[in-house]
Amino acid sequence: MSRKFARTLLLLAPGAILIGFLFLFPLFGILKLSLFNPGFTTESFEKLATSAVAMLVMERTFVLALTVTALCVVTGYPIAYYLATSSPRWRTILVYLILLPFWTSILIRTYTWMVVLGREGLVNSVLQWTGLTDAPVQLLFTGLAVHLAMVQILMPIVIITCYSTMIEIDEGLIRAARTLGATPAQAFAKVFLPLSMPGVATGAAMCFILSLGFYITPALLGGRRNVMLSNLIDFEVHQTLNWSFASVLALVLLAATLVSLGLFRLVAPRRRDQG
Amino acid sequence: MTSMTLTRRTVAAAAFAAGFVALSAQAQTTIVINGSGGSLAQIITRIYEEPFTKETGIKVRSTAPVSLPKMKAMVESGNVEWDLTELGGDDIIQARKNGWLTPIDWNIVDPDKKLDPQWRMADGMVTATFSTVIAYRTDKFPEGKGPKNWADFWDVKQFPGPRSLQNSPVGNLEFALLADGVPKDKLYPIDVDRAFKKLDQLKPHVPVWWTTGAQHVQLLVDGEVVMTSVWNGRISPLRKEGKPVAISWGGGALQLSYWGIPKGAKHPTEAMRYMKGRLDPVKGMEFVSLVPYPGFIPGLIERLDPAVAQDLPTLPANVEAQFEFDAGWWAERRAALTERWNAWLLQ
Repeated sequence: MSRKFARTLLLLAPGAILIGFLFLFPLFGILKLSLFNPGFTTESFEKLATSAVAMLVMERTFVLALTVTALCVVTGYPIAYYLATSSPRWRTILVYLILLPFWTSILIRTYTWMVVLGREGLVNSVLQWTGLTDAPVQLLFTGLAVHLAMVQILMPIVIITCYSTMIEIDEGLIRAARTLGATPAQAFAKVFLPLSMPGVATGAAMCFILSLGFYITPALLGGRRNVMLSNLIDFEVHQTLNWSFASVLALVLLAATLVSLGLFRLVAPRRRDQG
Repeated sequence: MTSMTLTRRTVAAAAFAAGFVALSAQAQTTIVINGSGGSLAQIITRIYEEPFTKETGIKVRSTAPVSLPKMKAMVESGNVEWDLTELGGDDIIQARKNGWLTPIDWNIVDPDKKLDPQWRMADGMVTATFSTVIAYRTDKFPEGKGPKNWADFWDVKQFPGPRSLQNSPVGNLEFALLADGVPKDKLYPIDVDRAFKKLDQLKPHVPVWWTTGAQHVQLLVDGEVVMTSVWNGRISPLRKEGKPVAISWGGGALQLSYWGIPKGAKHPTEAMRYMKGRLDPVKGMEFVSLVPYPGFIPGLIERLDPAVAQDLPTLPANVEAQFEFDAGWWAERRAALTERWNAWLLQ
């Protein structure tokens, strides 16, 4: 083999071995658990097909992930656009403001939402003080709370990915469109928007995949209906001891992630090198 | 040759010192005791574990929470972390059935045979009684007019406000039947369909279903709910702090809590010595005044201050108001009913 190939192999080896042991090896363990209980059996997969609870939970997980992703993109895109088109000094400050909560622990942020949305919490206190309501509104332990928190937690990802694509868009193209007679709205819709799509696709894909696996936020902020796939896996592992079924559910989650990644690769065109 | 003799002596001294260190390191055993954690664990550490370490030199590390699945995993994998663990009523039945427990040498734990034979088992010891009862906010209801029993708990007109119950059918089915008017001696075998129907009535008024001992009291203190089912001992520390909470014994479930030593535990003998320490009535008195989970420590009830005895599930007046939880009935059916419960809760 060529020296270059050998050297590449050598450089990749430590990382590959680490991934092999820490990821692939346990993954095979889960695969084994799903099919051997302890002898070879497909009963856990059969259970997946017949379990109403599992079906309902999977459906709700996907719907939640889709809704949260849509909300993040719709609210994050304008923010990213504003960021990309503002002055460099202002831009730095804004980026830090967006990243600061992002760097805060997810657990802290989730707990803070409990304080904000609780019956004796911030929102309810303000509502009652201004006289808009005269009794506490049930905000915590609802789907609303889960959506709010998940969007707040995931939005920075969408903003930053959209932003990084947007600043690479050549302003000259917009100017060219304007000189050719396009209104600002047309220039945006026909030139800027399509060029920013790769960033949006990346952000949406990341947001969706992360939402699928969310565990703490639905567990702490959600009501009885907001049980996600990860919560169900936790339940099967800790309460019913059905590790075989838990493994099947985990494989479903993994498959969903891989499929989402695959779809994303299909939809988002590879960025061709510019000039 | 002086230098060589010195060297040999130094080496010998070093070897002796190393051996001594190794020996004393061995004497520093640590036993791991698993329990329910939280404020309860802190009190146990202060009253029992620290004196035990002072007396015997054996260190104690406490862990939480109580989890039968975890014990199963430990025993089956051969990597047993716990030397002693708390277990619930149906937990110990399952553990015994599957052979996950080490037999107890009662000559170490209770050589003077002070403990009543009904609390001594081949592989477990009854350590405490506790009750699942109603707890409520005293400031949300007029003086003395809090919910007194499960019928009140279900009555959202007279006692308005959100409630919480455990996210588990265990206990809740009994409470529903009691609320529906079933007399307590006719609770078992449980009419499951009737219980679920009754629970349907309450479902819209329960925003959150608690899962841990710390959670249900937190919900009450935060004002997220005005009443909830609780484990009786968690309320006493709060009352001492002056929080506006109280419990009602009416319809409470009187339950037993056990100890078992997992099979393959690393220090079973030291664990049994600790168990013996827990039978001390003097420490027991101090413990019970802080946390009303009385064990069946011989000579305890007689020594207690009546004000303390009032809070105990085993006080005769309190026993009258409660029902005896049947762990045996649940041991067989828990898995299937939990599945039904989950499906029901998700709708």
